[in-house]
Amino acid sequence: MLKQTTAVTLLNLRSIPQRWGMSLATVLSIALVVGVLLGFMAMASGFRATVDGAGSDDVAIMLRGGAMAEMNSNISRDEVRLLEVAPGIAASPGGEPLISSELYVVADGIRRASQTPANLALRGLGLHGPDMRPQFDLVEGRMFQPGSAELVVGESVPREFEGFALGDSVRLGNNNWTIVGVFSTGGSVFDSEIWTDLGVVQNLYQRGSSVQTVRARLTSPDAIEVLREYVENEPRLNLEVLSERAYFARSAGGTTNLIMFLGWPLAIAMAIGALAGAWNAMYASVDARTRELATLRAIGFGGFPAFIAAMVEAIVLAFFGGLVGAVATWILFDGVSASTLGSGFTQIVFAFAVTPEAVVQGVILAMIVGFLGGFIPALRAARIPLLAVHND
Amino acid sequence: MNDATLIRKNLFRKRLRAVLLTISILIAFLIYGMLGAMQNAFSMGTEGAAQDRLVTVNRINFTVALPYAYWGRIQQVEGVRTVAPASWFGGYYQEPQNFVQSFAVDPESYIEAYPELVFQDDQRTAFIEGRTCAAVGQALATQYGWSVGERIPLMSNIWQQQDGSQAWELDICAIFDDADGTYPTNYLMLHYEYFNESLAFGRDSFHWIAITTEDPGQNDRISREIDELFANSPAETSTTTEAAFNAAFMEQFGNIGLILSWVIGAAFATILMIVGTTMVMAVNERTREIAVLKTLGFTAPRIFRMVLWEALLLSFIGGLIGLGLAALAAQGASAALAGFLPSFGLSWTNALTAIAFMVALGLITGMLPAWNAMRVRISEALGKI
Repeated sequence: MLKQTTAVTLLNLRSIPQRWGMSLATVLSIALVVGVLLGFMAMASGFRATVDGAGSDDVAIMLRGGAMAEMNSNISRDEVRLLEVAPGIAASPGGEPLISSELYVVADGIRRASQTPANLALRGLGLHGPDMRPQFDLVEGRMFQPGSAELVVGESVPREFEGFALGDSVRLGNNNWTIVGVFSTGGSVFDSEIWTDLGVVQNLYQRGSSVQTVRARLTSPDAIEVLREYVENEPRLNLEVLSERAYFARSAGGTTNLIMFLGWPLAIAMAIGALAGAWNAMYASVDARTRELATLRAIGFGGFPAFIAAMVEAIVLAFFGGLVGAVATWILFDGVSASTLGSGFTQIVFAFAVTPEAVVQGVILAMIVGFLGGFIPALRAARIPLLAVHND
Repeated sequence: MNDATLIRKNLFRKRLRAVLLTISILIAFLIYGMLGAMQNAFSMGTEGAAQDRLVTVNRINFTVALPYAYWGRIQQVEGVRTVAPASWFGGYYQEPQNFVQSFAVDPESYIEAYPELVFQDDQRTAFIEGRTCAAVGQALATQYGWSVGERIPLMSNIWQQQDGSQAWELDICAIFDDADGTYPTNYLMLHYEYFNESLAFGRDSFHWIAITTEDPGQNDRISREIDELFANSPAETSTTTEAAFNAAFMEQFGNIGLILSWVIGAAFATILMIVGTTMVMAVNERTREIAVLKTLGFTAPRIFRMVLWEALLLSFIGGLIGLGLAALAAQGASAALAGFLPSFGLSWTNALTAIAFMVALGLITGMLPAWNAMRVRISEALGKI
């Protein structure tokens, strides 16, 4: 039985080139299905990696109650003072609390790809700002001088927008700025931002002494409860305390879901379309070999080997289709830089990431299509009557 | 028995195959329709923009405010008909997740600047006169089940009143619709005065100013003059046409349009290959029959047409069902998404383009098999026996 099955299967696979038109169409249509699915998944996982990478568990972010996003938040100088003495906050070697008051305004950058203006976040932050981003690293140049119109830019910014290279002078709003450094935060959302001194932003954009958010490094991830209790019991504070990870998870959910909810239904709809293709190709394949299969039956081969052979053919074709689609997506899309409007009304730059898990999922989808598409034609192959040898 | 019967019989001779092909074509057009509807929703603002309307925002960015005094100064520019300032309110209803697109406006100038908004006369007067009145768009009113006469607290996630509260009590005095269905009605307007006087910070400023001009031909001159008026001031302005402003905003979401086109393209390429190869196969199977038809006196062009019609018929059956399903699905999605996206539906342009695609699909997939069929030689085909 096993011998028979192997023999018929090999015979079947070797004869694929004789039916190349139909087989190629099946392979390509399955490849397109997998390509579309993986494209969407690459977009979603790239976006998620960027936003998730930004949040750490031992950094607390405080916003005005009900603000939902940094942009809408507003915290006064008095409130910041109360937070500086809050419990649960780690201290610097010099003994000051590791706190960063931050304020960002939206500035226009010109996007390279489309030459259209897009919103960039110009964030003013204090001395301890970089301490809140564990992976912060100055890649080129130096840090800005407090009080001067100097900028450091995240490494995604020069990639996606024009005029932000080290040493460039750039006009944002009514002011001229010099770019003195490029930093990396390990591919997180902060890499799409421009940083400068908090006081400079407050002055040039007439924000007085108010800030939007206060970030604090916690002594441990659990210390957030202590901090939260302090804030709730202090009547002069109307603030929401979140871990940074929770904050980013909340703001990323919508976009990632949108991408995923669009990607999977599309891939499934297209897979049903491709199923019809696979089905037809397999029917054609069985039809083309009716006499051959009947002859095999006549000389003593069973129906089961014919069934297995047809199934293997369908799955092999689908597997190749899936592989072609996955490799093509990987070559075309992996690492492609894109940007979209994030929750803070500013651009988030992210790179498409074709992950190994996504590739596996794509190939599995392809093989499911192959299996379903091959099943009924394979049943038919197994049931070809002996007399079919006389057909035609 | 005429040609039409023959075409129909040929198409459905293998019922399963015909059904499968119909399904794959159906799916291609379903995807086309759904994505088209989505693209419409994203480009709605651009299409609804009026020719004679300009938008002035802060040059830094539209999120930065402009001083109150600009209202009067822009009014002085020659050729300006109406000036309607507005502030972004950032509203939500009950829960922060229940986003309500809302802005504070000066009712009289706003209604004048947006003549496409349709009010009942008494409701319009009520909205203009009542200080705590709000006018709600039809789509938004449907979403939250609001009706005229109701009193709602609208929370703001940006603004605070002097007493620290973030809720504004509003009376719904009017529900407006739009005249021709091209302008979204998923937003709410409240009185600028009522909003402004209770603010804890950021008073006496606007986020954008909509300007209507007497003559669209003068738009360029007028925008230049407005921007020159405020050059070198702390709040410089940028004035563009409403269409350009909306397009630039949508552009920020990234290449949604491009991605959608890619997906539609991939779906069509897949279907084209499947239908094409199957048609070739189906016609090859019939070589002998075609030879018989020829023997009976069917001319080669007639056979060519018959095979081509077969492909077109298949394309239309699948395509029209798919488009119909997409229209139904879009209607369903539209009801669910009313607050976020303005009307989500298929336009006539979409439908006509889809029909053009059906013709193209039928022609492309039918041409090769039809050509093969036309060239079948009686002697060869029948000699195969």
